[in-house]
Amino acid sequence: ATLAAPAVKAQSKIKWRLQTYAGPALAEHVIKPSIDAFNKVANGEMEIELYFADQLVPTGELFRAMQRGTIDAVQSDDDSIAAPVDISVFGGYFPFATRYSLDVPVLFNQYGLKEIWEEAYGEVEGVTWLSAGAWDPCHFATVDPINKLDDLKGKRVFTFPTAGKFLSRFGVVPVTLPWEDIEVAVQTGELDGIAWSGITEDYTVGWADVTNYFLTNNISGAWCGSYFANSERWEELPEHLKELFKLCMDSSHYYRQHWYWGGEAKLRVDGTKMQLTTIADEEWAKVEAEAEKFWDEIAAQTPRTKKVIDIFKKYAADMKKAGKPYRYS
Amino acid sequence: MSYELIALLMFSSMMLLLLTGQRVFGAIGFVASAAALLMWGDGGSEMAFSAAMKLMKWYPLLTLPLFVYMGYMLSESKIADDLYRMFHVWMGPLNGGLAIGTILLMVAVSAMNGLSVAGMAIGASIALPELLRRGYDKIMVTGVIQAGSSLGILVPPSVVLVLYGMIARQPVSQLWLAGAVPGLMMAGMFIAYIVIRCWMQPSLGPSLSKEERAEITWEEKISLLKAGILPLFIFFSMTGLFLMGVTSLVESSAVGAAAATVAALVKRRLTSAVMEEVLRKTLGISCMFMWIILAALCFGAVFDGLGAVRAIEDFFVGRLGLGPWEILILMQLSFILMGMFLDDTAMLVIVAPLYVPLVKMLGFDLVWYGVLYTITCQIAYMTPPFGYNLFLMRAMAPPEVTLSDIYRSIGPFVLVMTLALILVMIFPEIAMWLPNTFYGR
Amino acid sequence: MPKAIRLYVAYVEKMNRFIGRFAMYLIFAMLGVLLYSSFSKAVFLPSLWTLETAQFLMVAYYLLGGGYSMQLGDHVRMDLLYTTWKPRTRSLVDSITVLFLIFYLCLLLYGGYSSTAYAIEYGEKSYSAWAPYMWPVKVVMTFGVLLMLLQALATLFKDIAAVRGEEI
Ligand code: NA
Ligand code: NA
Repeated sequence: ATLAAPAVKAQSKIKWRLQTYAGPALAEHVIKPSIDAFNKVANGEMEIELYFADQLVPTGELFRAMQRGTIDAVQSDDDSIAAPVDISVFGGYFPFATRYSLDVPVLFNQYGLKEIWEEAYGEVEGVTWLSAGAWDPCHFATVDPINKLDDLKGKRVFTFPTAGKFLSRFGVVPVTLPWEDIEVAVQTGELDGIAWSGITEDYTVGWADVTNYFLTNNISGAWCGSYFANSERWEELPEHLKELFKLCMDSSHYYRQHWYWGGEAKLRVDGTKMQLTTIADEEWAKVEAEAEKFWDEIAAQTPRTKKVIDIFKKYAADMKKAGKPYRYS
Repeated sequence: MSYELIALLMFSSMMLLLLTGQRVFGAIGFVASAAALLMWGDGGSEMAFSAAMKLMKWYPLLTLPLFVYMGYMLSESKIADDLYRMFHVWMGPLNGGLAIGTILLMVAVSAMNGLSVAGMAIGASIALPELLRRGYDKIMVTGVIQAGSSLGILVPPSVVLVLYGMIARQPVSQLWLAGAVPGLMMAGMFIAYIVIRCWMQPSLGPSLSKEERAEITWEEKISLLKAGILPLFIFFSMTGLFLMGVTSLVESSAVGAAAATVAALVKRRLTSAVMEEVLRKTLGISCMFMWIILAALCFGAVFDGLGAVRAIEDFFVGRLGLGPWEILILMQLSFILMGMFLDDTAMLVIVAPLYVPLVKMLGFDLVWYGVLYTITCQIAYMTPPFGYNLFLMRAMAPPEVTLSDIYRSIGPFVLVMTLALILVMIFPEIAMWLPNTFYGR
Repeated sequence: MPKAIRLYVAYVEKMNRFIGRFAMYLIFAMLGVLLYSSFSKAVFLPSLWTLETAQFLMVAYYLLGGGYSMQLGDHVRMDLLYTTWKPRTRSLVDSITVLFLIFYLCLLLYGGYSSTAYAIEYGEKSYSAWAPYMWPVKVVMTFGVLLMLLQALATLFKDIAAVRGEEI
């Protein structure tokens, strides 16, 4: 009955369709509370309808759909929606760019990534980049255990394209499927595992039920996920609703900070569905060393990617100098 | 205009357009894309093509053309003939025995492919003329073939369960296993029905004459059993390897298609004429299904955009205030009712996404529900005026079988299927025992 | 019917038949790719490209084959009333209702064109580690839709001819 909002009332109300990369179970945490709050505070002036992964538009067409106005706003990383900007490679799990989730807001707000992102999307017609936050770390959840680098060989793993390209250097076979199909694909043997999230998400979305092992090493402490909007629709918003939407995005970013940070530790300690395994530090150092080569290759792509890589390098050096608790090695 | 009203308008205009006899995909596609355009303006103009990209990413759909190919390879190359002969000889002496043999043949064919098309083709071309010639009642045998071939989507492998698995996000392996026992049970119930009917009215299915029986030696009888080897080989190479985890789902459909081709080669029946038939029919049927799914995906996305899932939830839970079981029964009834008039595949793609979240919310097991859903689909395939098995039967039946014969023939079998549906509802173990045992759930 | 229309129908049907029969054989390509996939998994490393390639083949299969399958009359109709009508009535109704189908195909074509233009302009790559360019498959898809549209128009002309008691 709540749906039967008569059109007369709806005319003055601004309506947005926002599609997230997340399926319903995950969205329940990472976006729905903030959208519900937004709708409540907007008090009938504006309503955002939330759609889940692939619901209205397949993820691959999401960017274009937003550009064309089929949907008004998107929550996703740049990599997953194949945003047509050179810096989209950094959106998903860019190997070893971050160690902790707080690294992401620091990089964006204090080291200049925000300006770079604004510049890059300024060149793309019809879409405005709004904000980035830290999402979860990148760990392997697999059916069979990983104890050494060799165990990665031949594993068909669902992961981000950029992370996948990097991991394929260790024999991983990256597979891309619609997010909602992952659980079933592990069960039907299309996938051997997932390198797409931390353990909190594994438990939340049900991947912990179909895999047995969790690798504690990660190639990224957090990815940067973003909000985007159709430029025209964004410009149409009155100032106070723009501000309200910014608060809404920040509230979602903030929720993730504590949800993941606490959740990862708690599930490692108390979780019963997945057994933890670890690759020894000396061996994992090989992966980190390989990442440096990967960084240089990406830096060679465009002047802007070089700028980002330089920032990563500077940040990593600063954190190392700062010592504990920023970096322990 | 309220969203509920738009949704209702969409459904009724689709119904109206379908009644004009225009091609199903056109009717659905028009309503979907026009509604998107009306509601979302220019932005909605891309919904139709977005569905094509979604379909591409729905990787299990790859199994569809391969299953269709496999089915036609089995029927066109006539490798089922030996199998029919085997059942014919072994079951012939009984009253109604040839009809029973036909059901058994259908079970074997069902275990080799995922649709009912192959079963229909084999039943109508081999079994039907033979049964009519032996004086079997034409209404009964027409029903036997339609009902028997519908097992194709319940006995693994099954395309309907693949589609359902994609929509409900449930593992196909468990769904297939869950369909096995109910499928065999239903076959048993069909046989029981035939036995009882023919015991009451022996004229419906006369046994083979004494002379004819005398012509068949025991050696021949034993040697005919070899006809069962090939089906076992095909069943193992696709469903077996898949369940053992050796091949993935889409790979297994390719292995199955290859196995059927090899079987036809071994039987020396793979002529260029057969190949031509198989390829052309596979393209035709696959295109038919895929274009309907393409249009239905667009319809479903627009429907979803309207919040139809929540509306249905509100309707059943809020407005009617029903309990879980009442809702479940109402859903099945509504599906059977809609399945009479609407295209069955489109129904699956449009209605399942609306029902599945509700079923989950009510706390039912989605693998078990998949079996209920498939049995309902079987019924929808057979109930006039719209049903694929009906279409096929009409296209393939010899002239002495009239349209009204076909309509009348399905009555008792639909009742038997409904009984099976009720049994699986009351005793979920019928479906769940095998997957639970196999996967230790 | 005017000669131009007769020629149109003849050429479109010929073209669709030719392309459709080419698409018909793509099933072997799908079969081959997936068999290779299961084979490679067993013998050496699984490949990055097999599943996506099979998906591309699948869309090419049903979209390029669409026009031909319509020509063969493979697309089901709900024929509760339809079968009870005289052939001429059927053609009359068809020649009106096929306009709805054409409307749908026009929107599909528009979306396909727009999506392809985007893929070419931005050099769109698939969201996967293999990351092939998307424009080739989108060009094929859009072309398939166009073929279907051409065939639908040909069907419309044939229906109109049938209403007028002619044959094309
Ligand atoms: Na089957
Ligand atoms: Na029906």
